[in-house]
Amino acid sequence: MLKSLLLDAAYKINTSKNYTKTKHFFYNLLENSNYKYKKVFDFFMIALIFSSVFILIREVKSHVNDELLFYNNYVVSVIFLIEYLLRFWISGSITEVIIKQSEHDVMFGAEFNLSLALRDIFYQKIRYIISVKAIIDLLAILPFFHELRLLRLFILFRVFKLFRYAKSIQVFTSVVAAKKFEFLTLFIFASIVVFVSSVLIYVMEANNPASPINTLFEAVYWSVVTISTVGYGDITPITEAGRVVAIFVIIAGIAVFSFTTSLIVTAFTEKLDEIKDTKLIDDIAKKREFYLICGYENISKEVAKKLVQNSEVIILEEDEQKAIQAKKDGFFALHYDPGSIESYRKLRINIETQVKAILCLSHSDVENVYTALTVRSFNKDVFILSILKAKANRNKLLFAGVNELLYEKELVGMIAKEFVGKPVAFEAIHALRSNYNGIDMQEIIINERIIESFKAVADLECHKHRIILLGIYKKNKRNFYFNPTYDTSLEVGDYLLLIGNMQFIKEFTDNLHKGK
Amino acid sequence: MHKIALIFGHNDYTFEIEKNIKSHYKKIYIFNLDGQSVSKDSNGYEIEAFDLSEDWDELRDSVNIDECEAFCILEDMSKNIFLTLSLRETFKNLKIVALSQDKESTDKLILAGASKILPTTQTTANIIVEMLKKPMITEVLHNILYEKSNVKIAQIIVKNAQYFDGLFASDINWSKDYNITLLSVIDENGDTEFIYSAKAKHQQIKNGYQFVVVGFERDIIEFEKLIGGADE
Repeated sequence: MLKSLLLDAAYKINTSKNYTKTKHFFYNLLENSNYKYKKVFDFFMIALIFSSVFILIREVKSHVNDELLFYNNYVVSVIFLIEYLLRFWISGSITEVIIKQSEHDVMFGAEFNLSLALRDIFYQKIRYIISVKAIIDLLAILPFFHELRLLRLFILFRVFKLFRYAKSIQVFTSVVAAKKFEFLTLFIFASIVVFVSSVLIYVMEANNPASPINTLFEAVYWSVVTISTVGYGDITPITEAGRVVAIFVIIAGIAVFSFTTSLIVTAFTEKLDEIKDTKLIDDIAKKREFYLICGYENISKEVAKKLVQNSEVIILEEDEQKAIQAKKDGFFALHYDPGSIESYRKLRINIETQVKAILCLSHSDVENVYTALTVRSFNKDVFILSILKAKANRNKLLFAGVNELLYEKELVGMIAKEFVGKPVAFEAIHALRSNYNGIDMQEIIINERIIESFKAVADLECHKHRIILLGIYKKNKRNFYFNPTYDTSLEVGDYLLLIGNMQFIKEFTDNLHKGK
Repeated sequence: MHKIALIFGHNDYTFEIEKNIKSHYKKIYIFNLDGQSVSKDSNGYEIEAFDLSEDWDELRDSVNIDECEAFCILEDMSKNIFLTLSLRETFKNLKIVALSQDKESTDKLILAGASKILPTTQTTANIIVEMLKKPMITEVLHNILYEKSNVKIAQIIVKNAQYFDGLFASDINWSKDYNITLLSVIDENGDTEFIYSAKAKHQQIKNGYQFVVVGFERDIIEFEKLIGGADE
């Protein structure tokens, strides 16, 4: 009975749109660094931390009024508590674990094992609770529950909460973590040196009444101060044997210091590419819409040069040298294989919302087929255009899901025909296409607003505006109606194909949008 | 109409060019660089061999160069430039159409004496960008230009200017009166002007001018009868 109720509730919650939406929102707000409101949230939390620490510092030597103490002990703590609970909530899905266990048991013909599901839920949540970040979060809330003098020190843990919000600190931590074995070795070495030198200096100095080192703690303190190369000078050995020990500790100190520095530098150098990649991925996430060019060849360069004038372009190139060349040419190029799903996953490119079109411009049909198939394997709708190098591969590219193919040799053949057949007409069209003397060709879509004032071709008054209406393109029928008569009705979704001076076209377009 | 086309280079471009231009020439000769003379290729053409040290005496003896147009379509750009230079040096008046794969080669081919350039990369890039930015207009123009639609483009020489009785091109409502679209007017100096440009607006239509018009075939023929004759 309980199992059945739990299962029903799990399915109900899991399929609830509001629940999913809310959880997704909080996940984005707390964990997704690409979410636009996360920065605002982070700044808010940082401001809370600073204000809390400021009050604490002030409290050390001055009186702090009750309102501020209330704010620090309750308001800030309650906000931190809410944040902690939200993070606990989004750290895993209880309902999904229950459903998964139930489906697993159904598949094997067994009865739903609730205890196994509860065990998984427990492990999932405990994993979050014992993570370093969660412990810091919890300690930062503690003053709210205990107002004992000693526990006030825990307010300092609020400072550690900054780790969550400052990305550079996270980068530094990850760099240090990458070399944890080396740092552990260094720590053990330094500890042994400190231990040995403390014992030695104590043995050499403790019985000398003139020596400032009288206890083992003073010996350890002297060793740590010396090995760290700080050397306050408040405690110094006075016996000859003690000074010999000091020489060794100083030399060991230099070694420890150099080793630490070189370790951090090496770790940063090794992580540099990764840090750069992370920055690139962040930059991509910020882009709203872009064209994705796969493969960097001469043609890619020409296409990118034209597209970047009023659009964003990203180039993916598998060959490192070509990717470097693309960067040198001033493009946003990445050394990633466009034929690998892993590349899109790593770069976190959202094909559906971010990519206007994918251009497969590699000089190898094989690579273009591979890229098209890769993209089609996770997105059916994005527009893919590819060049075709060998005619025999036309069907393969179409089969791979390419929407438009351009066979360069066929194009050259057709241009040659125009050259010899209608050279003047060809030049005229070429001039129009290259915006010669400010003449442009534009397509304007008819929307609901335009149709209110312009119901038929006669209403457009193209001749008066000194532009040519070449025709109307009905996209849904894929039909072009050349030179439509004045009484031709306009419909929403129609495209007007116009030729004229850029300025006149702009005025005409403004006029259309303004209405009569 | 020129009678003979000389295509230098036997590759994928040869097939496409030959297919598209064969209706404009009485005879097409295909030459293969440093290759063997082949009696007939798959399209029935005799393929003759040539090399870059050629002094073209043999060619001069076999065809009347004044009736020829040459297509230099070697894929190796340095060899194509050399070939163009070699032909231009020998035949001063020959019309040479040359294939270029990049901007650098285009500049060199023009210096070498090519009359027209077929810029492969540039053209393909332009078409790709147009297809992305203005897909409808690109498709329509492409179909008109490459005769895949019942709307045609034509160039018509004005021989009966008095028909317009001193009117300016921009004064006439071409689409309403003739069911055609007049795109450009080319004056006696060969300057192309869009019909609504400032210059065309102040130019009376004269004999010898050329019109670039778009329209249905029957309307173009009708219009052609009214004003003179087609160039083709």
